[in-house]
Amino acid sequence: MNEHEHHHHEVDPKTAEVRTEALEDLLVEKGLIDRARVDALIERFEHDLGPMVGAHLVAKSWLEPQFRDSLLDNADRVLEEEDIKGAEIEHVEVKANEPGIHNVVVCTLCSCYPWALLGLPPSWYKSPEYRSRVVREPRKVLQEMGLSLDADTEIRVWDSSSETRFLVLPERPPGTEELGLEELAQLVTRDSMIGVAKVKAL
Amino acid sequence: MSTNSRVHDIGGTQGWGEVPYDPNEPVFHNDWERRVFGLMFQVLPHTAKRPGEFRHALERLAPEDYFCPDGYYGRWRAAIEVLLDEYGHVDKVELDDLLGVLPGTSPGHRVAKIAEVPSENLPPDRLTRKPEHRTVRRELEESSRFQVGDRVVAMGNSGMGHTRLPEYVRSIPGTVVKIHPAEVLPDSTAHNLGERPQHVLCVAYHAKDLWGEAAEENVVINVDLYENYLEMETEPS
Repeated sequence: MNEHEHHHHEVDPKTAEVRTEALEDLLVEKGLIDRARVDALIERFEHDLGPMVGAHLVAKSWLEPQFRDSLLDNADRVLEEEDIKGAEIEHVEVKANEPGIHNVVVCTLCSCYPWALLGLPPSWYKSPEYRSRVVREPRKVLQEMGLSLDADTEIRVWDSSSETRFLVLPERPPGTEELGLEELAQLVTRDSMIGVAKVKAL
Repeated sequence: MSTNSRVHDIGGTQGWGEVPYDPNEPVFHNDWERRVFGLMFQVLPHTAKRPGEFRHALERLAPEDYFCPDGYYGRWRAAIEVLLDEYGHVDKVELDDLLGVLPGTSPGHRVAKIAEVPSENLPPDRLTRKPEHRTVRRELEESSRFQVGDRVVAMGNSGMGHTRLPEYVRSIPGTVVKIHPAEVLPDSTAHNLGERPQHVLCVAYHAKDLWGEAAEENVVINVDLYENYLEMETEPS
């Protein structure tokens, strides 16, 4: 058996489409689900959630050293104070990148991810390639993804094996000294908060 | 390709290719992915309600369903089909027919049965204050048996029940770097054997201890482990 080949087979959208529709019709018919509630839930996760919540925390940390210290010391308390609630953030830890230290997050056993801070995880984060390799050869994986780190930079990988969720606090890029909170937040990408990219000035 | 004994437990397995990285991919690629995602939240209250139970349904899927060509949401759909059968909502034979697939081919025909987990393999249960809202976190009166800086080894439970101990750290010494809030023990809740709440410890492993001398330099892997998985490292000989 070779999972690898399975994974790269072309998806036939018609089959998946037809089968999912049949399943949904069946669940409605059995009275197990309400279609309008399914629609509302999809709408909320697709459009109201996203990396902007995490990006706001990062940008604010860059501007306010005290806020940064609190976020690194006790993110749960900061999320409560900022009134940030939602799925998959019962206990959050924030890990700061700094010169010589780079953090990167994975879930090798499934695909745990701080939904309420970053939105839903991208496919590559859930892929067996990322889940298997980033704990064994993170430097190589990051390089393939476009992030080259110096050999003497320590890489800290965080495997989300309990209900703790991790957020990376990326470094503020040079050339952004004049920017305010909103402008800074717009520079902060999802991938920089997972730890597979750096934040770049425009 | 190297594999571990459980289909989902792939940390450190070898032979995989490049990460399918697309920095600009959409949240959902197709409408059916949206629907599967939305359906799941209403299927779970009728089926897998306990912590760890849905994850264990995914972990019990046959490899061709776990690594199915439809990807992550295809895996979720397979788990929905399995749970509907196991909870008696729609028999798998009926499901084959209703979904228009060949008889005997839906994932419920291939899924592994839930393993028997002897409760003597688990740590004793203990009473904790019931939280006001739904959460896996619990407050324990006793502090952890371990302290930051302790050298520990994770052995975990034997058997094929649900666990959150990744195979790649089993029996390798590491260092406790942080103690997280206590949680119910998924190895127990997934099997309906009570909460048995545990402290959760973040344990740091040097890449060379996990992968040998060929490992990359300057790499530390941090894994969160439930206290009952851990033992103090015996003095190195």
